[in-house]
Amino acid sequence: MPGCPWPATCAGSAEVPGLTAHGIEAGLPGGFEGRIFKRASSGLEQSFAVAHFATFGLPDTVGDFGGGAVNLMGPDDVFTTLFEYGPDSLGTKLFARRGMPRQLATSDFQPYVLRRGLVGQSGTQWFFTEAGRPFTLYVVLGSHARRASLVPRANALLAGLTVLPQPAPVPLGASWN
Amino acid sequence: MVALVVVLVVVVVLLAVLVAGLLRSHADILKALHDLGVGVGEPSADGDSAHDHTAASGRPVPVPFTVGPQLPPERDSTSAPTIAGVTPDGGALAVAPAGSGGLTLLAFLSTGCSSCAGFWESFHDQAALGLPSAARLVVVTKGPEREIPGEVAALASPGLSVVMSSDAWTDYEVPGSPFFVLVDGTSGRRIGEGVANHFRQVAELVRRAEVDATAFDLGTRGGRDVGLDGPARESANDRELMEAGILPGDPSLYPTSLEDLYGPPDARMPVARHVRRVG
Repeated sequence: MPGCPWPATCAGSAEVPGLTAHGIEAGLPGGFEGRIFKRASSGLEQSFAVAHFATFGLPDTVGDFGGGAVNLMGPDDVFTTLFEYGPDSLGTKLFARRGMPRQLATSDFQPYVLRRGLVGQSGTQWFFTEAGRPFTLYVVLGSHARRASLVPRANALLAGLTVLPQPAPVPLGASWN
Repeated sequence: MVALVVVLVVVVVLLAVLVAGLLRSHADILKALHDLGVGVGEPSADGDSAHDHTAASGRPVPVPFTVGPQLPPERDSTSAPTIAGVTPDGGALAVAPAGSGGLTLLAFLSTGCSSCAGFWESFHDQAALGLPSAARLVVVTKGPEREIPGEVAALASPGLSVVMSSDAWTDYEVPGSPFFVLVDGTSGRRIGEGVANHFRQVAELVRRAEVDATAFDLGTRGGRDVGLDGPARESANDRELMEAGILPGDPSLYPTSLEDLYGPPDARMPVARHVRRVG
């Protein structure tokens, strides 16, 4: 496709449907895949929302921070995780930042930030609180050398993400008027 | 003598009719093969159209690999739009087969159709399906307004990507279930589709596409050999921690200060020697 640096993106840029689940809305830019889910709880452990977004085919099973996916990335790919923590993290210094970063800079990405260091890749991670929910945002670039062209793609994704306040839990059992 | 001549004439006429019929039949077969994109003989101007998926005349072009009954030629059988919907467990999923880089097999199934039951069952053991490693399987059902998520969840095996989207059925012009679409993520186009009653028919579709996929240079993305990954890596980490006597809830997993991580300041060695990435 002449004039289009990302053929897959440009080919599918029109009318990409959005995703909504577990209080996260994602208007996906063309070429992005996404999955919003909660892992099954075990025992007393409570699970919270996880969202994965990628410019490549997401495998059926991906670790919370991209295990099983980042090794599939090509140099022109972007992978993003939005991971929610429990309410006990609210108010801690780690999550003091208000709001998700929406405009990342190329200087935010460093190879040593990667949770799993793969040659050529780089990443950035941010902790924040939005809509009363504590999150971390983790973004991986397929090629640190190409960050100037990849960061705008990540920012396009972030611009379409919305975190909604969690609804109050519904009390168990029937209620009688 | 006259009778012999008459007999010979009749025989010659009959043979001529027979040869003409054979030639006509042969021409029909060649024409049909040509329409399917596998014609032989003198190439015409659009002779390769089935493989390059372009139609100079603007008319729809069939995909190169099909199974089952022939589909109406006026269908848009090359586009591969993004599929987005909900998952049976309450999540959401968007699949962009046109940008995935590999082969994506979309299985349009229903919970109610009897011929779909065998496919749901066979998907419980994906390793036995015989799909190439470069291909991923995504099941697409109609949306929650037409299907009950609980019923879909009951049929779907753990780890199987299932997206519920009625729009996808419209976008891909699915004539009914079960229906399969094979998309090549490198070219961003549909390269196979059709109705199948047995997965071996679908596997044959993928096999033929895989042979042809060498032209699409599959495997250009990543695919790095990095040892264990995903859940297997997490399990290995857990096992190693437990063997070291570190069980869930161990205080060392919840450091509250730098001293907890690196020891007293005097005893600190270069940090890199103490940091071990897990996860």
